[in-house]
Amino acid sequence: MAQTITIGPVTRVEGHLDLEVTVDLVGGKQQVVDAKCSGTMFRGFENILVGRDPLDAVHYTQRVCGVCPISHGMASSLALDDALKAPGLALPDNGRIVRNLVLGSNFIQSHILHFYHLAALDFVKTAGLLDASPWSAQCAAPDMATGDAAARLVEHYVQALAIRRKAHQMGAIFGGKLPCSPVFVPGGATKVATAADVTAFKALLAEIRRFIETVYVPDVRWVAEKFPEYSGIGRGWGNLLSFGAFDQDAAGTAKLLARGRVTDGAAFDAAGVDVDQIKEYVARSWYSSASGLNPASGATAPSKSKAGAYSWVKAPRYIDKPHEVGPLARMWASGDYRKGISVLDRHAARAMEAAKIADAMAAWVGQLDFAKAFYAYVPLAGPRSGVGMTEAARGALGHWIAIDGKKKIARYQIVTPTAWNASPADDAGRMGPIEKALVGTPVRDVAAPIEVLRVVHSFDPCLACAVHVARPGGPARRFVVALP
Amino acid sequence: MRLTRRDLLKASTALAGALAVSAAGWPALRRSLARPAADGGLPVVWLQAQTCSGCSVSLLNSVTLGTVDKLLRETLDLNFHPVLMAAAGRPAVAEAEKARAAKGYVLVVEGAVPTAEDGQYCTLWPGMTALAGVRLFARDAAHILAVGTCASFGGVAAGKPNIAGAKGLRDLDLGKPVVNIPGCPAHPDWIVGTVATILKTGQPPALDSAGRPKEYYGKSVHDACPNLDNCKKSYGKRFTKKHNKDKNCLACHDNNDAKHIKVGRHLAETGCLYPLGCKGYWTGADCPTRKWNAGDPPEGGTNWCIGAGAPCLGCTEPKFPDGLGPFLTLCGPGAKKD
Repeated sequence: MAQTITIGPVTRVEGHLDLEVTVDLVGGKQQVVDAKCSGTMFRGFENILVGRDPLDAVHYTQRVCGVCPISHGMASSLALDDALKAPGLALPDNGRIVRNLVLGSNFIQSHILHFYHLAALDFVKTAGLLDASPWSAQCAAPDMATGDAAARLVEHYVQALAIRRKAHQMGAIFGGKLPCSPVFVPGGATKVATAADVTAFKALLAEIRRFIETVYVPDVRWVAEKFPEYSGIGRGWGNLLSFGAFDQDAAGTAKLLARGRVTDGAAFDAAGVDVDQIKEYVARSWYSSASGLNPASGATAPSKSKAGAYSWVKAPRYIDKPHEVGPLARMWASGDYRKGISVLDRHAARAMEAAKIADAMAAWVGQLDFAKAFYAYVPLAGPRSGVGMTEAARGALGHWIAIDGKKKIARYQIVTPTAWNASPADDAGRMGPIEKALVGTPVRDVAAPIEVLRVVHSFDPCLACAVHVARPGGPARRFVVALP
Repeated sequence: MRLTRRDLLKASTALAGALAVSAAGWPALRRSLARPAADGGLPVVWLQAQTCSGCSVSLLNSVTLGTVDKLLRETLDLNFHPVLMAAAGRPAVAEAEKARAAKGYVLVVEGAVPTAEDGQYCTLWPGMTALAGVRLFARDAAHILAVGTCASFGGVAAGKPNIAGAKGLRDLDLGKPVVNIPGCPAHPDWIVGTVATILKTGQPPALDSAGRPKEYYGKSVHDACPNLDNCKKSYGKRFTKKHNKDKNCLACHDNNDAKHIKVGRHLAETGCLYPLGCKGYWTGADCPTRKWNAGDPPEGGTNWCIGAGAPCLGCTEPKFPDGLGPFLTLCGPGAKKD
């Protein structure tokens, strides 16, 4: 008989996520048959930005998320570069490299934080190892690791706290401070690097690379060996989307992580990713305004008691199909990882991507030319519009800016990776990627559905990013959550 | 890397020297961070309202006053923190409820609290809005800390037009004192240091008129800025005819007057950032000396906003951001340079 269970709050994600899953017997096996992902916090960044100075967008948008602020700083800078570009003026290489170094440092921080501090506790029993809050209270599942293997992972969890801290320390050499770096500006970066900066960066990077290679990647491999069934769990739709990131030249056509997608089994490179094909649907989202809009003309009005709606997150779709974003999509588009799409594949791709970025940064930091400019002045102008497409650690990120004739922000839209991944169903009833990935997940014990958590955590959800939209209008009436 | 007693004392002395704080205060700080009671540490319930989690991420960067794993295993009993805790769903909520029943905990709130529509713009868990939850947990808390500018004063989450009616804790009429530890994000030392003072003395540290510990926020960024000499050299002489040369021009002029001062400066060059929109004069924070993202002791902070050529945003101030933007005033080629 079908049972619907609510997991709220989903912990070890960023932000406010509630999950409702329906579990039933299919072919004698108890498993998830339906899932609803609900983002339960709303601030309204796009409204907050309207009327403000466009140059302030790089600061405001970083506060969308404290785990991936740099990706927003990057997307915002790219959107402003696009909107304000003067003919013949190219982004100085030094500025592009500084932006990449700060972004890369935060990517690595985020991936390490994700595997150890957000995901790993799904796989080990903390009893006897982490006998203190916030770890000791745990619904330990029988298949969780114990003994030496668990002790090793816990020891690495503690080491990883220091390593992710050092990744931020490394990023701050060029970024000023992390999280939230103020050095991003259209036209480059405010930080002028010195030889001492490069030396300090390289020293920290070497330590972090060693950790990734000798600790992080082997630990991910251990999870794959101990939980092999998860290579067949959590596939979802099988569609992948990457905007690409870490421009290797001023034109932005060559990227470390490629732009590309896989839709219904067919692979497309950068030419096959057209930002105009993105639409956001709101049939199951708490907004009363038009559905199916491209972000360049996006608008929404919050309406909390809308019938059939269950999330503040909108449902972005590419050519009307749900697409998963994240390290797996990027590594697939880049040709670095195409083994499969599952819980384990996501963790593997994430670890490999951390290694790839760390290796690349060793080269980039050596490319800085202290004799050249880090920034090229770009005058503020309007009316103008621009798009910035990049990647946050957890997936594709786009910022759309429109500047009016008074040189103020007329419209600002953000589509974040977790909006793609944790979206509710769209107007045609197509589930979001996480929802779809949950269907078919075996559940041994509905009172302790660890399998559900393992699937959700593999996506590295960040809900502060996912919910960001509003426009005034439409009363939000009282919302009552049905508890089981 | 394990933090030994010697490391911490070395770091404390070095940092104390940098801050011109008596070193005598620091060994006491170290003792205060040791587990205060036999039973398991200072109980903490950390609620996240309208937050980006930046303050939690920043806390994870703590090292100078103690690493996070040391704090969690030896000093604090962090009963509830949605990002870190092992439990999920109802069992996680039960941990918060257990702590509340035991009373005497430190309630930390990260993020602003939306008040419009009965608080429906943010729920902590099913059936519990952030507004109701903060009010409920405030009742039995021994101390309340608003971590970050959003929780302290509303911050970015409460930026106009503030559809959700977001407010800082001080505007919620909780009926109890709140210690504000603003910053966007808050510096880990400001958070850990405040907790340490509560542990050591049973009381929060001395607070300024905005409810912020004077120790961290009492001096303006401007007063400790290494560019101060350059500022006086650049602007002090220029106005001797019309102004009292001992009076700082920023006392009467705000950034909008920069164009009248006729001193243009390009980004990505050294020197005072005032003409570019720096809010350091109006901002209480010890960033110039403490800096950010410290290395393993005895290394101190690595860098800071102004150190990276970026004007201060004023992120610790009650007026941040609505009352302090725009944050950048660009000067193009042709502006007169000093």
